[in-house]
Amino acid sequence: MSFFIGSRTIPEVEYHRPKELAAALVLLRELKGGYKLIAGGTDLIPAIRRGALSPDFSHWVDLRSIKELDYIRQEDSLICIGAVTRLADIEASPIIRKDVPHLAEAVGQIGSLQIRSQGTIGGNLSNASPAADTAPPLLTLEAKILLKSIDRQRVVPLDQFFLGPGKTVLSVGEILAEIQIPIPRAEEKYCFLKLGRRNAFTLAIVSVATRLKIQNGVFQGVRIALGAVAPVPIRVPKAEGFLTGQRVGEPTITNGARIASDEVQPISDVRASAAYRKDMSYVLTRRAILSCMTPKPAQP
Amino acid sequence: MEVEPQETFLDVLKNRLKIKSVHRGCEEGECGACTVLLNGRPVCSCLILSPQVDGGEVLTLEGLNQNGEFHPLLTAFMENYAIQCGYCTPGMVMTAYYLLHHLTDFSDESIRKGLEGNLCRCTGYINILKAIKAAKKEKDSGCWW
Amino acid sequence: MITRERRILSGKGRFIDDLELPSMVHCVFIGSPYAHARIRKMDVSKALKNPGVLTVITGEELRQHTAPLPATSDFSGRPGWHWRAPEIYPLAVGKVRFHGEPVAAIVAETPRQALEAAGGIEIEYDPLPPVMDAVSAMEKNGPLVYEEWGDNVQLHTVFNFGDVERAFREADRVLKFPWHENRTSGFPLEARGCLSMYEPMTETLHTWGSYQCPFRAQHYISHVLRLPQTSVRVTASDIGGGFGNKINIWKYTVVCLAAMLTGRPVKWHESTREFFLTGPHQRDVVWDSEVAIKNDGRVLGIKARFIQDLGVEISNRDYSAPSIQAACSSVPNAYRLQGLKVEAYGIVTNKSFYGAYRGFGKDKGAKFMERIMDLVSRECNLNPAELRLKNFIQPQEFPYKQISGLVYDSGNYPAVLQEALKAAEVDSWKAKQEELRKEGKHIGIGMAFVVEPAGIAAPNARFSGLVQARVRVTPDGLVEIYSDRTEIGQGAEMTNTLVVSQILGAKPEDIVVKPVTSDIIGMGPISSRGAVYSVSALARAAKGLKEIIVKYASAFFKDRPENIRLENGAIYSSKNPENRLTYKELADRMYFRPGARGLPQEMQLNHETLLDVSASWFSPNSAENPTSTYTTFSSSADIAVVEVDTETGATRILKYVHVHDAGKIISREIVDGQIYGGIVQGIGEALSEELIYNEQGELSSGSYADFVMPTAVDAPDIVIKHLETPSPYTELGTKGMGESPIIGSKAVIISAIEDALSPFHILITEAPATREKVRRWIRHSTAG
Repeated sequence: MSFFIGSRTIPEVEYHRPKELAAALVLLRELKGGYKLIAGGTDLIPAIRRGALSPDFSHWVDLRSIKELDYIRQEDSLICIGAVTRLADIEASPIIRKDVPHLAEAVGQIGSLQIRSQGTIGGNLSNASPAADTAPPLLTLEAKILLKSIDRQRVVPLDQFFLGPGKTVLSVGEILAEIQIPIPRAEEKYCFLKLGRRNAFTLAIVSVATRLKIQNGVFQGVRIALGAVAPVPIRVPKAEGFLTGQRVGEPTITNGARIASDEVQPISDVRASAAYRKDMSYVLTRRAILSCMTPKPAQP
Repeated sequence: MEVEPQETFLDVLKNRLKIKSVHRGCEEGECGACTVLLNGRPVCSCLILSPQVDGGEVLTLEGLNQNGEFHPLLTAFMENYAIQCGYCTPGMVMTAYYLLHHLTDFSDESIRKGLEGNLCRCTGYINILKAIKAAKKEKDSGCWW
Repeated sequence: MITRERRILSGKGRFIDDLELPSMVHCVFIGSPYAHARIRKMDVSKALKNPGVLTVITGEELRQHTAPLPATSDFSGRPGWHWRAPEIYPLAVGKVRFHGEPVAAIVAETPRQALEAAGGIEIEYDPLPPVMDAVSAMEKNGPLVYEEWGDNVQLHTVFNFGDVERAFREADRVLKFPWHENRTSGFPLEARGCLSMYEPMTETLHTWGSYQCPFRAQHYISHVLRLPQTSVRVTASDIGGGFGNKINIWKYTVVCLAAMLTGRPVKWHESTREFFLTGPHQRDVVWDSEVAIKNDGRVLGIKARFIQDLGVEISNRDYSAPSIQAACSSVPNAYRLQGLKVEAYGIVTNKSFYGAYRGFGKDKGAKFMERIMDLVSRECNLNPAELRLKNFIQPQEFPYKQISGLVYDSGNYPAVLQEALKAAEVDSWKAKQEELRKEGKHIGIGMAFVVEPAGIAAPNARFSGLVQARVRVTPDGLVEIYSDRTEIGQGAEMTNTLVVSQILGAKPEDIVVKPVTSDIIGMGPISSRGAVYSVSALARAAKGLKEIIVKYASAFFKDRPENIRLENGAIYSSKNPENRLTYKELADRMYFRPGARGLPQEMQLNHETLLDVSASWFSPNSAENPTSTYTTFSSSADIAVVEVDTETGATRILKYVHVHDAGKIISREIVDGQIYGGIVQGIGEALSEELIYNEQGELSSGSYADFVMPTAVDAPDIVIKHLETPSPYTELGTKGMGESPIIGSKAVIISAIEDALSPFHILITEAPATREKVRRWIRHSTAG
């Protein structure tokens, strides 16, 4: 563009609000692309305003009213969350708080009360920011994503869902319908820590989620995921492999955290330098692991 | 009324319905000046496309005025000097109204966290906190509506 | 009358976004995507054909039909000053010089139509290398912001106060201290805007909007549009925050021009992003200094080089050139310095212009000095409080003529500091600090003492004049206040009401503060002038009105003037209280029935029949002491305790105490509100706020997402205590105090972090102390 404009206008396009999933999927097939899925709008609208999202679509398809996608359920061995479930409801959900508390913790640190009252988990994941706060806890839980289109449905492990910043495997005609979380076993400990530029309502410079068990003084089933330190939210398998099976103690924990910080590939941007992100990957991972060992959660 | 999808909920409130209390701030969801309650939840009206509001219930500051009588929360804001330039005030009040009905833990920490999405450049937040705590006392004593 | 707060809470606010007139149209600015470029081609013909577009204005039109933006300060001809002001217009002519610089203004029926027409403007640029920091802008053979200048120096002078050579001769030691403050500004939640309309019947250009200084705006607009001032009327609408950021009105002049060209009312309300890009930037100074001290901690003198990064200029879009003088003359702060020599540079770069932000210039010298105090305290192994007490100007020395030429009116610095030490329980925090260090936890106790000069009247600057106030009783018995003290959230209406209520005994609900317009002469609420100039003028006017009322009442009641009381909306005789009049009855008699039953004959013959008094006020301090550009000097002490997380670099505030001497206080709650707000702004400056430009010269932190301001979670609890040493110079003894909170807070947080990190021997030489920076300093330290 040959000029700068303060705040871009919302494009003049058609708006559709299907009330049922089936109708939505039919619509998406009819539109053949050239549409934008919207629910909370808490990522999309700011992106349009600052010129980060080109108005190259001709239809809004609003998924908000599809009540059948708004739920948090326990089904056998899975916790299932509908994609259109609001973040505030996930934070407050007794199921989430009891079984996967670090997900509740992470969601509670997304944006502000207003953002969480409107934003959805499907939106947070589809937006595919490397800093998406729901991703690290879900990665440690080995969550899966259910994608649906008119022709088929498929289940994709979350760690294969993200392709790069802003890119997912979602194809034309598909929507993210559900997040499936295998219910963790008892005696597992969880932690989520986030470091931003201020104490609230801040994007993550680095975020860490951990999930582990301690049996007879030995780390078992260690899972660590980080956000904002790579093109996509990532697990750190080398660190996990190092820690699993080791006796709990130092210098093991520190060494494990160091390995994690070697696995990240952060960039430098206006929020932080790559060096600081690497450094904080180490610091937060170490603290998250320590926090899993004590009843009292650590401060980020 | 008929709305266009390229109008945001904020545009409709201000430009069509001429509701003065809702304030246009950053229009990117970062400042909270445009906060209203939609179906009982605090939202940034600048982030919502107008058709998305269809069938919903909206509460703005005007709804806390009844026949010239101020809701006790508004009185608490005035009496505790929680208003300076007034631009963040309506959004702040709507969020406070929500917190007063939904917060279970009424510690300072918890109230401050609830207000994280409402920026204020004038007051340093301290008198706003005082006002909310004073309003809580009113609510607990039954003088509330 | 309904107060402003009640009005806003009733949904009857009158902010620019709320203003509407029939057949109103909208103006939108479009700006340069480049920090520095020549405009090779500009063709708006397609845009003009877009639906709803009334006109498109470019720099070329402005050059032909309007005057260039006036230089609001003029240092040419002042001995020892090198000074230039560029010839510029609100829209770029020939060249763009900062990212977002407006290049065209589109006027259309709706904002959307205006924005859509932007696509029809064909502009071609030849980008030029930008110069993005002041120090490299001083190098020879680099890019020039104004080619015709030959270099990037807008201002250069040497301030030489006292006897600095003697100070250095007598010194036991000389310390070096560099200090760099971040580029930041206020960015209140409401951005700039106005609604302008040309009214042909009275041949008047009316404009309403976020004008912090309507009288000065009238002068500025009429100069640019080449209209007599009598044809321009400026009214301040409700303003959603100012902090000095809405004194500049250069973009508003284009909206006014559009109103005249189109014959329609034209509204403009910029987006927050535009406010960041094209708004007034501040701070961004670099000091390099040598400090001459005695071993016992007395600071004798300072030699410094001072560089201020002006962005594209400091002279035309705003009124800020004297801020360099303010910065250098505020260095001595609260102390008895023997000598100060500063070589000061104002350097232009390809960033938005240098404007006004709470503090203006006097903040910089004070912060610099407080950092030096921390350094000296460490180097001499002296308690920071003892060190300050040793260097303070003593209570019996007031009025004190500082080496800078400023005459400090009154104060008791030791008492303010002692009060702060007591309230903060410094000793018990120090003990805690020792304990926690053993556990590897790092808390720090910081201290800052600030003298705030208020009420600027700088020579060479166009905001140094007197102010007017007018108080009038309406025929139906209300009391009207006309003041230059625009309400920007600082409580002007409330305190003006209190002042008049106290003097005239009128009930606050019967007092009406009229919207501030250009009809009243005055510089506006800048430099904390409200409590100094505006309140003094208002008090004079109210007292003048009281005299007339007492004269009338004593004649009417046939009583002595000493017995006349004004209280609770009534005027009565203390000897015979049944002799009473309400304001309404008084006005009725004087305005409608001055004859037989009303006014005494003497008053009628002397034409003393108006319940309407206008008074002016100018600083007696400046009148008596021509080098004293400020009138009052409030003082404050900040003590803060922080905890620094040495692994992340994050700072948490555990305790914050602020003791303030603001002279006579009219409303304690209003003053406290100003203190709370200013402190939290200063904390933002200390920890996270920064206007960051990338290598291409683009502003990367141009929104609330990346310009990190404190939320309610980041703001601490604050304990405030007050002392009052009245000013001998103002009408009621009041002192301006609105700016010291933002000055002390930034210094004290840095001071506290430095103290927390003392095991690492880190000297903090820059702000903000972001998490990343603090962590880096720790890692690079010898002990890290």
